Amino acid sequence: MRTSSLAGVAPALSILAFSVIALSSPASAQVTDSITIYNAQHEGLTKEWAQAFTEETGIAVTIRQGSDLEIGNQIVQEGANSPADVFLTENSPAMALVDGKGLFEPVDKATLDQVPDGFKPGNGHWVGVAARSTVFAYDKRKLNESTLPKSMLDLARPEWKGRWTASPSGADFQAIVGALLQLKGEEATAAWLRGMKENATPIRGNSTAMKAVNAGQFEGALIYHYYYFGDQAKTGENSNNVLLHYFKNQDPGAFVSISGGGVLASSKHKEQAQAFLKWVTGKGGQKVLRDGTSYEYAIGKGEASNKALVPLAELQAPKVEPATLNNAKVTDMMTAAGLL
Amino acid sequence: MTLLQLTSLRKNYGSVAALDGVALSVPAGSRTAIVGPSGCGKTTLLRLVAGFDEPDGGTISFDGQVLADGTFQMPAHKRGIGIVAQDGCLFPHLTVSQNIGFGMEAGRAVKEARAAELMDMVGLDRAMLSRKPDQLSGGQQQRVALARALARKPRLMLLDEPFSALDTGLRAATRKAVTEVLTAAGITTLLVTHDQGEALAFADQVAVMRAGRFAQVGSPRDVYSRPVDATTATFLGEAIVLPATIGEGRADSPLGLLDVDDVAYRGRAAIMLRPEQISVTREGRGGVGEGAVGTIAEITFCGPTCDVRITLPDASSFRLDIPSREAFSAGDEIRIGVSGAAHVFR
Amino acid sequence: MSQESSHGVSAPRKDPIARKDLLALDLCGEHGDDGGGGLHFVHDATRVGSAMTSATDTMVSASPRHRLPTASSWTLMIAVLVAVLALMPLGFVLWATVVTGWETAIQLIFRGRVGDLLINTVLLILLTLPVCAALAVALAWATERTDIPGARFWSWMAVAPLTVPAFVHSYAWIGLWPGLNGLGAGVAVSVVAYFPFMYLPVSAAFRLLDPALEDQAASLGLAPFAVFRRVVLPQLRLALCGGALLIGLHLLAEYGLFAMIRFDTFTTAIIDQFQSTYNGVAAYMLALVLVLCCFVLLGLEAALRGRSRYARLGSGVARRAKVARLGAWKYPLLILPLVTAAFSLGIPALTLGRWLIAGGAGIWRMEEIGLALWQTLAICLVGGLTTTAAAVPIAWLSVRRPTRASRFLEGCYYLASSMPGVVVALALVTITVRAILPLYQTVATIVLAYVVMFLPRALVSLRASIAQVPVELEQAAASLGRSPGNALWSTTVRLAAPGAAAGVALSSLGIMNELTATQMLAPNGTRTLAMAFWALTSEIDYAGAAPYALLMVVFSMPLTWLLHHQSKKIAGR
Repeated sequence: MRTSSLAGVAPALSILAFSVIALSSPASAQVTDSITIYNAQHEGLTKEWAQAFTEETGIAVTIRQGSDLEIGNQIVQEGANSPADVFLTENSPAMALVDGKGLFEPVDKATLDQVPDGFKPGNGHWVGVAARSTVFAYDKRKLNESTLPKSMLDLARPEWKGRWTASPSGADFQAIVGALLQLKGEEATAAWLRGMKENATPIRGNSTAMKAVNAGQFEGALIYHYYYFGDQAKTGENSNNVLLHYFKNQDPGAFVSISGGGVLASSKHKEQAQAFLKWVTGKGGQKVLRDGTSYEYAIGKGEASNKALVPLAELQAPKVEPATLNNAKVTDMMTAAGLL
Repeated sequence: MTLLQLTSLRKNYGSVAALDGVALSVPAGSRTAIVGPSGCGKTTLLRLVAGFDEPDGGTISFDGQVLADGTFQMPAHKRGIGIVAQDGCLFPHLTVSQNIGFGMEAGRAVKEARAAELMDMVGLDRAMLSRKPDQLSGGQQQRVALARALARKPRLMLLDEPFSALDTGLRAATRKAVTEVLTAAGITTLLVTHDQGEALAFADQVAVMRAGRFAQVGSPRDVYSRPVDATTATFLGEAIVLPATIGEGRADSPLGLLDVDDVAYRGRAAIMLRPEQISVTREGRGGVGEGAVGTIAEITFCGPTCDVRITLPDASSFRLDIPSREAFSAGDEIRIGVSGAAHVFR
Repeated sequence: MSQESSHGVSAPRKDPIARKDLLALDLCGEHGDDGGGGLHFVHDATRVGSAMTSATDTMVSASPRHRLPTASSWTLMIAVLVAVLALMPLGFVLWATVVTGWETAIQLIFRGRVGDLLINTVLLILLTLPVCAALAVALAWATERTDIPGARFWSWMAVAPLTVPAFVHSYAWIGLWPGLNGLGAGVAVSVVAYFPFMYLPVSAAFRLLDPALEDQAASLGLAPFAVFRRVVLPQLRLALCGGALLIGLHLLAEYGLFAMIRFDTFTTAIIDQFQSTYNGVAAYMLALVLVLCCFVLLGLEAALRGRSRYARLGSGVARRAKVARLGAWKYPLLILPLVTAAFSLGIPALTLGRWLIAGGAGIWRMEEIGLALWQTLAICLVGGLTTTAAAVPIAWLSVRRPTRASRFLEGCYYLASSMPGVVVALALVTITVRAILPLYQTVATIVLAYVVMFLPRALVSLRASIAQVPVELEQAAASLGRSPGNALWSTTVRLAAPGAAAGVALSSLGIMNELTATQMLAPNGTRTLAMAFWALTSEIDYAGAAPYALLMVVFSMPLTWLLHHQSKKIAGR
C-alpha cells in the first residue's frame, strides 16, 4: 500500500511540471524600447513600415495580426490592460469603435499637422495613415461602359441577381456599408443589404473575389482598388481580365475609406508609439506607400500617391465623417440580412 | 454405401506436406473419427472436405459427386456439408436465434420456429434464443453451433475438435449429447480430435493419423487392441511392449508363456499387452501361482491407483497403474498374471 | 454451468493493448476498461452520459472519507482539475447562452442564416461519411484481404493523406481548379482529406476479424459476397462508427478547408463573426448550435454502435485471414488505390510542386520561414509535452486505480476534445480577457487549448504503455531495496517512456496542423507555419505559401508514420 500510494506522487509531479512550463510564457515578455502594434492593415505594408521605423529609431516592433473589427473589439475587451501600444486599421469604423470607448490617447499635434483635414477625426484622437477607394472590379470580357452600374445602389436591383460578388465578412466591405448607412440612412441600407443577399455571392477575401471575377465566375466584385494594382504589379494572373470601374459622382460606391492609426491610452510606451505614428504619416511612411507594393493612397500633406493610381482628387468621393462610422450597427444589420 | 470418399489426397504448405496421400471411405450413416497428435494434418483434412482449402492432388467425392480433384473445386457454400468448429465459431454480432437461422432459406417466422425446435433437440433452453453468444458458456456455444449446422439438414457433419475447449467433466456430457443428436438425425459424421478416448468412444470407424498419413483405419476395438505398430499402440493408450519368441500360437516372453492373437507367426517379434490385461498379486500368499514373478522397484501413491515400476528377472522393467487397495511397497515381490492374448507386431 | 461459463468467453481478452482504440489517437477513444474485444475505436458516449448522471455520488465515493488525502487521491484531484479546465469551453458556451437571454438567443439562433448553415452542415456530413466509408472499406479490403500487387505500399498510401493538413488539400484543389466551390467541392476535398481516419480502424478491424467465421458462413451456404455482407460488414460496424464520428467531428470543426473553397459551415461563420465583432453574442449562439451538432453526432454514434461488442469468442489465436486471389482482376482493382492516391496525394504534390517551381528561390524567405518553423516546433514541443503530462494522472489512474470516477473523468476529456477548436478558442479568449487577464494572450492559454483538444491522443498512448508494465515490477523493485519513488521511476516510468514519447508526438501532429484556435489565441508576435500559410493564401500569394505547406507536410510525415505504426501494433500485427 505504501508503495502504491507514494507512486501516485509521480503524476502529481508531472502536473506541477506542466504548470511551470505553461505559465512561464515567453511571448509576453517585452523589451523596454519596443512597441506592440495591433495591426489590421495589410501585414506586408505594416511590416515594411515597422522595418524602416526600427532601422531609423532603434525601437523594436512586435506585430499582432488580425482584422479591423476583431482587433477593435479585442482592444475594447482588454480595456486598460491591453498589451497594445498602437492600433492600425484598414478602415475607420474600428477606430471609431475604440475611440468611442475612450481608449485612445490624443495624437501629437505635430503628427496631426502632417495630415490634411478630412483624413483625421475632428477630435484628433487618431489619424489617417493611408486611404483606399471603393471600386467595381469587372470582367472586361463581359461588361463595358454602357452595361456597368451607374451607382453602387444599382447592384441591389433584380437585374444584377447572381452576377456580382463581394466579401461581406471583411472589414473593408463593412466600411463601405457603414458609409452607405451614413449617407443614405438605415432604411435604404437595410433594403440594399436585402438586395445584396439576393444578388451577390459572398466570397471570403477581396483578392479571392477579384480572382473569381478574373476567372469568369462573376461579372464584377465590389472591392477596393489596390488589389488590382498589387496583382498587376506582380504577374497579373488574377486580374488580367479585370478592369476597375470608379463610381465617382459622390456615389456611396465612390467611398474613400481611411486607414487609421492611434495610440492606446493604456500604452506604457506612449512616446515610442507617438513616434511611430509621426513617422508613418511623415515622409518616411508615406514614401513606403508611394514606392512600395501596397498601392494604397498616400494622404500626407504634399505627399503624392503611386503614379499608377487615379489621383485621389479625381475620385469625387462622397463626404463621409470617419469618426462616426458605426460598425456595430452595420454588423447587426448584416447579421439580420443573413450575410453574416 | 460410401458417402464420402477420399483418394490419395495431398496438400502442401510451402515445402511441408500437411497431407501426403490420404485415402478414406466414410459409409453413410456412420461416425468416423480421425485422431492424431496436433500438427498431423487432421484439421487440414477437414478443411479440404469442408471446401475452405483446395487440395494439391487427389480427389474428394461426396455421394458420387466430385467435390475437388486438384483442378476442379466446388466452393464451400455449395457443398451442403455442416461443420462445428473447435470454439463453436458463433457470429458474435447475431443472437442465438439469428445464428441458428443464419443458413436457412426461409421466412423469419419459419426460421424462428425451427430455431426453437433445434434448441430443444440440442438440449438448450428456448429462453436463450434472444441472447448474444458472449452470454453463453462454452458448452452452450457448442450446442448452438451444432444446432446452427443441423438447421441446414446436412448429409455430412464435420466436427473439428468441438469438445476440446470444454472442461473435462463437461466434455463427456456434451459429447454424449452431440452423439445422440447426430444419431437420432441419422447424419454421417466425421470427427477430428487429438483425444484418443474421445475418438474411441465416439466413432464406429477410427482413422489414426500421423505426419499427414493414416497409420491405421478400423473399428475402435480393432485399432485399440490390434494396432499396427508400437507408436500407434502407445498413442491410443498405455501399452506394455515386450520382446518375445513366438510359435504355435504362444509367445515366450519375460512374462512367461502368453497366448498371442497371431497363430500363424513364428519367430522373434515384439508383443503388446494393454495394462488392463495384467493383474498383480503378492508373491507367496496364493501358493504356487501361474505367471512370472517380478519386483516392485518404485511405487507412487496416486489415490485410487498406484503408479508402479516393476522389474522382471531379466532386468527389464515396465510401468503400470495398479489399484491401490493392496498396500504394496518398494521391494515387494509380486506375481504377474495376464489374461487374454498378447498382440503381435509383425 | 457456472464453472464453464468463465471458460468459453475469457480467453482472448488478455491483451490490454488490443482493446485500446486506434482512433482515439485523434479526437476520441474508447475509454472504459470494459473488457471488450479489439474493435472499439471510439469513445463510449453512452457511458459518458450515464456516468454524468451519477457524477456526484461517484465523486464522493471515490475520495476516502475522514482520512488525510493519500498520494493517489492527489492524483485524482489533479485529474479532476484537468477535467474541469477541459470542460471550461463547453461550460462557457452554456453560460454565454444563459447570459445572452432567451429572447436574443432565439432571435440569433432561429434565423435564415443559421438554417442555411445547418443545411450545409447536414448535407456535408450525410454525403461525406458514406463516401468515406465505402472508400475505406474497399481500400482496407484490397490491402488486407487480397493479393493486390504492393498491398503494403497501398496501405501506406491510404494513410499518407494525413500528412497533408486539410486546408492544404483544398489549397491544392483550387490550385488545379480555381473555380471550385460549394457543397460538391466540400464533400470531395473532405473525402480525400479525412478518409484515412476511417481506413485506419477498418483495416485494423479486418486484421482482427476471425477468418473462421467467414469459413463457417460459407459452410452454412453463403456465397462470398453474402459472407461479406452478412458476416464481415457487421463486424466492421464499430470501426465504421468510430471513424464516422471522428470524421464528422472534423467536418464540424474544420475552418481552413471550407473557407478556401467558399463553403459556409458553422465554424466558418463563427470565424466571420469573430473577425467582425471579436467575441460577439452572435458568435456565441453559432457556437451553441455547433456544440449541439457535436452532441447529436456523439449521440447518433452511441445509438448506432449500441452496447454490443464483437469480441472473438472462444479460445486460441485466430488464424490469419485467407488472402483472396484476384486473378484477372488483379490489375483492374489497382485502379482503386491508384485513383485514390492520385486525388489525395497526387493533387497536393502537383500543386505544391507547381507553386514551388513557379515561385523559385524568391519564395524561400528564410528569415520568416525559419522563425515560423522555430516557433511552430517550440509550440508543438511545449504543447505536446504539456498535453502528455496532463494526461499522466488520468492514464495512471485508469490503469492502476480504475474506478467509476476515473472512467467518468476520461469521458469528460473525450467530450471536451470533441468541441471544435473555434469554440475552445472563443471560450478561452473571453474567459481570459474578462476574468484571468494575466493568462491572456500567453503561451499558457494556447497550450491549455491544445490540452483540451488533444489530450485523448496522449492518453491512448500513455495508457497502453502503462498497462504493459505490470505493477508487480514496481513491487519487485521495492523488494530489492528501492524506495517507492525510486521503484516507480526505475520501472513504470522507464518502461512507459516510449508510450509517453508517442503521446507527445501525436499531440504535436495535431498542434502543428491546427489553425483555428492557434490564430485566435496565439501570443503577440507568434506565427506558426499554419498561420503563415493561411495569411499568405488569404492574399492569394499561393506561391509564397507553398514552402510553409511543404514544411508542414514534411514534419507531419514521421508523426503520421508513428500513427500508422501504432495502429498496427494495437491491432496486434
